[in-house]
Parts: sequence; C-alpha cells; structure tokens
Amino acid sequence: MSVYTQGVIALMGVNILMALSVYAIVMADQVSLGNAGFMAIGAYTSAYLSVKLGIPIFPALLIGALAASFIGLLIGVPLLRLSGLYFVMGTFGFGEVVRTFFMVFEPTGGAYGFRGPVGATLPMIYGWVLVLIVLFWLLSRSRLGRSLDALRDDAEVASSIGLNVTLLKLGVFWLGSFTAGIAGGLYAHYMFYIESGNFHILVSAIAILCVILGGMYTFWGALLGGVIFSILPEVLRFMGGWRLSVYGSVLVLMMIFRPSGIISRQMVRNTGEWVGGIFRKASS
Amino acid sequence: MFLQQLVNGLTLGSTYSLLAIGFALVLGLLNMLNIAHGDVFMFGAFLGLSFAMLGMPLYLALILAMVGAGVVTIIIERLCFRPLRKSHFLMPLLSTIAFGIVLQNVATQIWGSEPVRYPQTTEIAQFQLGPVLVSSIDIIILATSILLMVGIDQFVKRTSFGRAMRATSEKPQTASLLGVNINWVIVFTFFASGALAGVAGVLTALVYSQITPFIGIRQGLIGMVAMVIGGVGNLRGAMIGGLMIGIIEIMNDAYFAAGYRDIILFGLFLAFIVFKPEGLFGTKEQ
Repeated sequence: MSVYTQGVIALMGVNILMALSVYAIVMADQVSLGNAGFMAIGAYTSAYLSVKLGIPIFPALLIGALAASFIGLLIGVPLLRLSGLYFVMGTFGFGEVVRTFFMVFEPTGGAYGFRGPVGATLPMIYGWVLVLIVLFWLLSRSRLGRSLDALRDDAEVASSIGLNVTLLKLGVFWLGSFTAGIAGGLYAHYMFYIESGNFHILVSAIAILCVILGGMYTFWGALLGGVIFSILPEVLRFMGGWRLSVYGSVLVLMMIFRPSGIISRQMVRNTGEWVGGIFRKASS
Repeated sequence: MFLQQLVNGLTLGSTYSLLAIGFALVLGLLNMLNIAHGDVFMFGAFLGLSFAMLGMPLYLALILAMVGAGVVTIIIERLCFRPLRKSHFLMPLLSTIAFGIVLQNVATQIWGSEPVRYPQTTEIAQFQLGPVLVSSIDIIILATSILLMVGIDQFVKRTSFGRAMRATSEKPQTASLLGVNINWVIVFTFFASGALAGVAGVLTALVYSQITPFIGIRQGLIGMVAMVIGGVGNLRGAMIGGLMIGIIEIMNDAYFAAGYRDIILFGLFLAFIVFKPEGLFGTKEQ
C-alpha cells in the first residue's frame, strides 16, 4: 500500500471517529459545532504527554480523551441549557476559544505548532473505530439507547415518564467529547505535527455533514458519511485548482436533493431483516 | 493616546457593525445563519479591488462592489436557503459553510492566494484634531458606515417595505395573507445583507491594504460575535456590538497582547451565549 493510500485510510478512520463524536451528541437532539475543540484538546494533551513526558501512546491517548471529556462536562453544564441555534453557536464559540488558545499557548508550541508525536498505526486507528462502533451498537440496543430515542422524539414526554433528561444529555456530551478526544490523539500521533489550524471550525462542520448526509438517525450513517467525506476530496483531485469549488458545490447540491441523508433508520431495519432472512433460509 | 485608540477602534468597529447588521437582517427574518457572510465580505473586497485596478474612483468601486456582493448573496439565498426553507435550521447553516468554501476557492483561482495590495486611488490627507490624528480614509470609513447604518435603520423603521420586512420576521404566514410578497422581502433582505458585507470588505481593504481569499472566515465570525453581543436579530444592537468589538480589539492590541485578541473576543462571545443569550439590547424571547 502506498504512503498516500495509507494516509487517506488513516484520515478516514479519524473522520469516522469525529462523525461518531457528533452523532453521540445528536442522539440527544443537539448539534455541536465545536467538536474540533475537543479534538484539539485530545490531540495536544496526548502529544504533550508522549513527547515531553515519554508516556506510551495508549495511556497518552486515553488521558488526552479523558481531559477532552472532562472539559466537555465542564462546558456541557452551562451549554446544555441552550437549545437549537443557540447551542450550535455556543459550541462553535467553545471550539474557537480552544483553537485560538492553542494558537498562543507556548508550552505546546503556540503558533509554531507541536512536533514529535509518533506511533499511531492503521490497525490502532481502526481498532479504536471498531471499539467505538461496538459501543454505539450496544448502546443503540440497550435500555439507555431507548431512553435516548424517547428524549429525541419528545424531550417533554421523556421527562414526564421519569427520564432524567439533563443527565442523559450530559452523558452523551461526555461520550461525544471523549470520542473526539480519541480522534484528536490518533490524528496527532499519525501526523507527527499539529498546529491550531488543524482544528478549524470546518473540521467540526465536516463532521456534522458526515452525520447528516450519512443519515441522522443511526450511527451507520456516521460511518458511511466518514467514508464518503474522506474519499470525495481525493476523487476530486483531478479537478486541480477548482477541486474545492466542486467539493463545495457537491455539498450544496446534496443538501438540496438529499436533505434527510442517505441511510434512514427504516433502511437499517429493512436491511437487518433482509440479512436475517438470508441466514434463516440458509439454516433451514 | 487613548483618544487616538478610541478613534481607531470606532473606525474598525464600524466595519464590524456593517457585517453584524448583515447577520442580524437574515437571522431576524428567517432565524437562520448565513455562515458564508464572511466570504461575501472577502468577495466584495476583491471586487472593489478589481474595479479600483481598472482606474475607477473609490465611490464607484464601492457601489459596484456593493451590488456585486449583494448579487452573490441572492445566489446564496437561492441555493442554500430557499430549497431548504422547511428543513432543520442546520441545513442552510451547513450549506452556507459549503458555499463559503466555493467562494474562497473561486477567489483563489481569480485573484491568487498571495496577499494583494489595494491600489491607492484617493489622496490620503491627515488631519490633526487636538491630540487625535485622523486620516481621510478613517473619515471615509466612518462616514460611509454611519450613513449606511442610519439608512438601513430608518428604512426598516419608516418605509412601508421596511414594515413588510418586520411583519415577515414576526409572522410570515400572516404577513403573506396581508399581501406581503414574502419571497421578494427575503430576496431584498439578503441583497441588503450582502451589499453591507461588500462595503465592509472594501472599507477594510482600504485600512489594512492587504487582502487574501481567507480573510473572510475570521471577519465573518467576528461579525457574528458582534451580533450576538448586541442582541440577536436586533439591528441597533448589532451596530453597537460591532463598535464595541472594534474598540475592545484595538484597546487589547494597544495595552495588552495582540495574540490574545481572538481568545478574548471568542471568550466574550461564549460568555454571552451562555449567560446572556439575548445580548445587551435583545428582547427575551428565546
């Protein structure tokens, strides 16, 4: 496999994780435009730990993600009082605060960026992807997952049947910021060099697009979106200098013609039954 | 020294106000954000630059850039808002982020990604007013911005079209029943929003004298910050918010560290969103 292909596949894994991190928060009917901020915290923390303090990559990643999710809890308490557009703007403000913070924070290189973290391999990245997908799958089938579905359909009814809506929202916010922190740590240790510009608002926006165009009601959509949005820019390379124009236009057109995403919840159910049917036929 | 910084802050802030008003116009009408607003600003700056390169006087370049930026915003409305009017508020928001990418790329292809200098088409005169040194560019910027701000404010308050705009933002269905052509109101509002961004672009290019296709991102975000601090969807609030941001930015650069400028501004934004989401002058409906 060429270095180029490896790079694309590695970034695809990071994109999938970022999409899952957005999906986690979407489960509670909130959309975060600040996940690049959590990604940055995970990336810088784990990179600092492994480069400056010589901590092995696995604990470094974990501590980075825990730091991101701890900040997630702190910021989540006031932010989750907001709804709709205000939550989006609030998380966006958070993401920009984090980005501009790392631009001037000297211990992690400030505007010069931070150099040195190594050790993330493809199997490691996809190992994390697999772990999180299994986690999301288990969650979607658990009682907790059903509670989240109820919350998403109607928060008031959910709270009236005794669900602790605030705690649920905070929980998925924690999960989302943890996932983004892992994505950031893996990104840093794969790229060897990070700077604050890597965690721009567009990173958060692309992660949301992955979830929306993949399909908002199932984590499979996040997976598909992550794959599409990693391959699309590469496919468009032949366009040369106009590549980004075509990319942007494709997004605008997708939004017009397929606003509800590619995978719907019904589709997953139907496919599941179809696959199950094949197995039943084969066994009988 | 302090008075001088205050004047500089007001000059910078007035361009932010123009941007913030553009955000507030669209948000007030549709309750949706146009993230490509900053890129329209950048596009307007480059259009003005191109016209100035052709040898046009400043006022003509300003007017043409204004119209050009307005037309770009009408295209944004057509592609990113009208087809998505009934969908989740997030769709137009993301669609405009994508459109912003297109605008940046088109500008890079036309004008290149290197910083471009604005040609000097007007004589710069300096006036000493007591302790304050004011250049003719400062005066042009302040005068143009104030004229436009008062103009749009009075237009929305006093004319019958302005009343139609307010009615549409309040209750679109009722306004429509009463004979307001909603689509026309929306198109006009987008045009006005874009035109103001275009003017702000040209005026900013005059001061900083260097522009790149990527200045729009930060500038647009700051415009949004100014709008939120002033009061979401409130035109006068947006004006004052813009001036405040300009003054804070200049004072920070003068008396503190320029590197911390954006942390302070975005931190302020976050604090407002969380603790005072209605802004300084907004009404408490959200």
